[in-house]
Amino acid sequence: MATTSDVRDILELSGPSGQEGEGGTPRENIMKTKKVKKLSDTPTFKRPEGMHREVYALLFSDNNSTYFRDAPPIIPSASNQGYRTLKAKLGRSKVRPWKFMPFTNPARKDGAIFNHWRRVADEGKDYPFARFNKSVQAPIYSEQEYQLHLHEEGWTRPETDHLFGLCRKFDLRWFVIHDRYDHDQFKKRSIEDLKERYYNICSKLTKIRAPPGQEPKVYVFDADHERRRKEQLERLFNRTPEQVKEEEYLNQELKKIEMRKKEREKKTQDLQKLITAADSSDARRSERKSTKKKLLTKEKRESSGSVDIPTGIKFPDFKQAGVSLRSQRMKLPSSVGQKKVKAIEQLLEELGIDLYPMPTEEICREFNELRSDMVFLYDLKLAYANCEFELQTLRHRFEALAPGKMPLTVLPTTVGPSTSGAAPAESEESPTRKKASDIIDVVSTGPSTPQRKRRVSAADPGSAIKKTKKL
Amino acid sequence: MSGGVYGGDEVGALVFDFGAYTTRAGYAGEDSPKVEFPTHVGVVEGAEPMDTGATGDKPQGAEKKVYIDYNSLFVARENMEMTTPLKDGMIEDWDLFQMILDHIYKKHIHSEPELHPVLMSEAPWNVRGKRERLTELMFEHYNIPAFFLSKTAVLSAFANGRSTGIVVDSGATSTTVVPVHDGYVLQQAIVKSPLAGDFITMQCRQLFQELNIDVIPPYQIAAKEQVRDTAAPVWKKKNVPTTTKSFHNYMVDEVLRDFQASVLQLSDSPYEEQVAVQMPTIHYELPNGYNQDFGSERFRVCEALFDPSVVKGMASNTMLGVGHSVTTSVGMCDIDLRPALYGSVVVTGGNSLLSGFTDRLNKELSSKTPPSMRLKMIHNSGTAERRFSSWIGGSILASLGTFQQMWISKQEYEEAGKGCVERKCP
Repeated sequence: MATTSDVRDILELSGPSGQEGEGGTPRENIMKTKKVKKLSDTPTFKRPEGMHREVYALLFSDNNSTYFRDAPPIIPSASNQGYRTLKAKLGRSKVRPWKFMPFTNPARKDGAIFNHWRRVADEGKDYPFARFNKSVQAPIYSEQEYQLHLHEEGWTRPETDHLFGLCRKFDLRWFVIHDRYDHDQFKKRSIEDLKERYYNICSKLTKIRAPPGQEPKVYVFDADHERRRKEQLERLFNRTPEQVKEEEYLNQELKKIEMRKKEREKKTQDLQKLITAADSSDARRSERKSTKKKLLTKEKRESSGSVDIPTGIKFPDFKQAGVSLRSQRMKLPSSVGQKKVKAIEQLLEELGIDLYPMPTEEICREFNELRSDMVFLYDLKLAYANCEFELQTLRHRFEALAPGKMPLTVLPTTVGPSTSGAAPAESEESPTRKKASDIIDVVSTGPSTPQRKRRVSAADPGSAIKKTKKL
Repeated sequence: MSGGVYGGDEVGALVFDFGAYTTRAGYAGEDSPKVEFPTHVGVVEGAEPMDTGATGDKPQGAEKKVYIDYNSLFVARENMEMTTPLKDGMIEDWDLFQMILDHIYKKHIHSEPELHPVLMSEAPWNVRGKRERLTELMFEHYNIPAFFLSKTAVLSAFANGRSTGIVVDSGATSTTVVPVHDGYVLQQAIVKSPLAGDFITMQCRQLFQELNIDVIPPYQIAAKEQVRDTAAPVWKKKNVPTTTKSFHNYMVDEVLRDFQASVLQLSDSPYEEQVAVQMPTIHYELPNGYNQDFGSERFRVCEALFDPSVVKGMASNTMLGVGHSVTTSVGMCDIDLRPALYGSVVVTGGNSLLSGFTDRLNKELSSKTPPSMRLKMIHNSGTAERRFSSWIGGSILASLGTFQQMWISKQEYEEAGKGCVERKCP
């Protein structure tokens, strides 16, 4: 909402309209003096450069009542102090004076006196930085101890003393100790030599000084290991760029070789699969040829509920190179669908068999066989259900076409053996697996049906129902 | 003391830092030295003492007159020889050194020496005799309450916030590479090379000789006129007393140093004529008005810092370039320490302000270090911080609360003698 003052603001006119220059209405002229006074009473703020008009209006409301710049809050605020506390309370206490005073530092042994600025209140207190004075305690050995225990091949007393002196002086900073070691007077030694000597003495001293019957904890310094480590690092450091490159190159080559190897393995596996598939399909074809004649009587049907080669599970021959777990043989091949896996699990549960039994040779075989049979059974059941359903639909259609003339013959025979075990029609023997596969093949005869469709319908009996409903 | 937050506690200590080119002095705890002037002094032998030379300090019994600090030093005087009390970073002429100290106390500190502990920097390779003599001088002559000697490299590392690192200090007389571990210099691994500021100045001098350009220092010039590019300069000679060769040379070097700072640049990669020619030229005018554009010379002159083999008339294998010095020095340290050293390469010294110096060094080092090593260069971009880094480090160190126990106090000195400096200031 634009008020008059907004307009004024936009036009950048100062003061109320018409106050200056234009004369204005008589009433305003009369009021003029008063208004001017008012304005001069209160500090007038001009809108700062760059500040938005709306923002400015929030700060200074334009109700002409310049006194009440801040509109009262709608909700009463909780604290009645808020911004109204004019004076910031800086430092509640009194000023704490400082004084230039002498001090001694307890970290110094000589008691030297320096001067510094300090709070009067802190006068006489300890020097605050003295507590940072920390040093490493290198052990001190006596002449007797050295003579009795600390002799070592290649080390003399003066050299040991020199070493311990440096250790104390540089607080066990070994790099510095090694750097400042008197290599001219004594022989050249590596950091590891120095460390070894020092820690050996330390551990010996702690052992000697420990009360009898107690085994003190000692720090063991493995100098040989350190030396080997350093040597290794040195070698790593000293590699020339060519060597580094060569290593990288070799690593890459290795990766490539491994990748190729994997690819080859995969290919051989694929080939293996193809060969087995070809074998089985050959067998099937020959079987089919033999059965086809028998099936001539059968009508060509729109196959819907049919399964392809339900021979249970084909566990792949285990031909991987190298060592493997036997339980791997129990793994279901990926060709077994999710539904079948579920069905197996359910059946196993019903039978009270462990899902993952101990994979001994025998159990492995039996378990695989069992599951194979289970899948086989499952397939057969599915096929049976499909056939039943088809039969029903056909029956209904027949009923619809020729009511009352229901033939009570043929069809049940195809389904019979899988459920009852009694063998009518073509099979006199008990239904072995081979026989059964024949039968199923019978069911699945539909050369015109594309493979994919069949599979879908087998996996999902519902789709078969849909199909039949359409008909 | 003022709170444990920053751990500072000032005892009014003074920090002196004698460099090869300039000397710095000031109060500890401040961020830059109070005074900086050339370490070189002018000496007039056998002159009768003059009363007017307020800035000249005369030691008793000596008939030589010594001029210290810019204002008196840069005046052309007859028979004034330029000398320096230092040699190879160590104090050589103790009389002159004492005079400089007197001058600092008298003209800049304006306070009594016995009130202020003194922290002094020294070359990392300083020898025992000189350290002891310096300690003696400070305690006996100046009667200071406490003293401490610290190596420049350590102080530079402290100024850059490191206690461990490798300090590359490229100053006037030498470029030194000093490994520092926990605030201690590893003396066995110091690498020194004379390829530094003065060397570059010498190269510049050669360059001007080759180009047939006379470098006239400002003190000889009364007036000059503007001339065209590469035209012969038109200038009037000032009427000055005949000066000594050393003074003249010093003044010429001053001009060359300015040239060095404003024109020279290090190329990113090893110098190649074809590349350098294509780089932008820089116009420079000498004090006498002669002016010229400098192109590939800009890069060629200072290339020797990193590749000594380009120097004419010098066996290439006698000196190490800067990058090589660093790798050599690190190579002399323990293998366990090397990652820490490469992790903080502190670059300092006035000569390192040559444009392109740090970039070139970074490039050289990264090509020379193994890829597994993390390389980090630490260099302050500020001119003053780079030039005064050892003074600043001293200022920081001497104003630390925890440092106050490190001083060699007068009592200690009196008890143990001058030998205590070896023990207390390793």
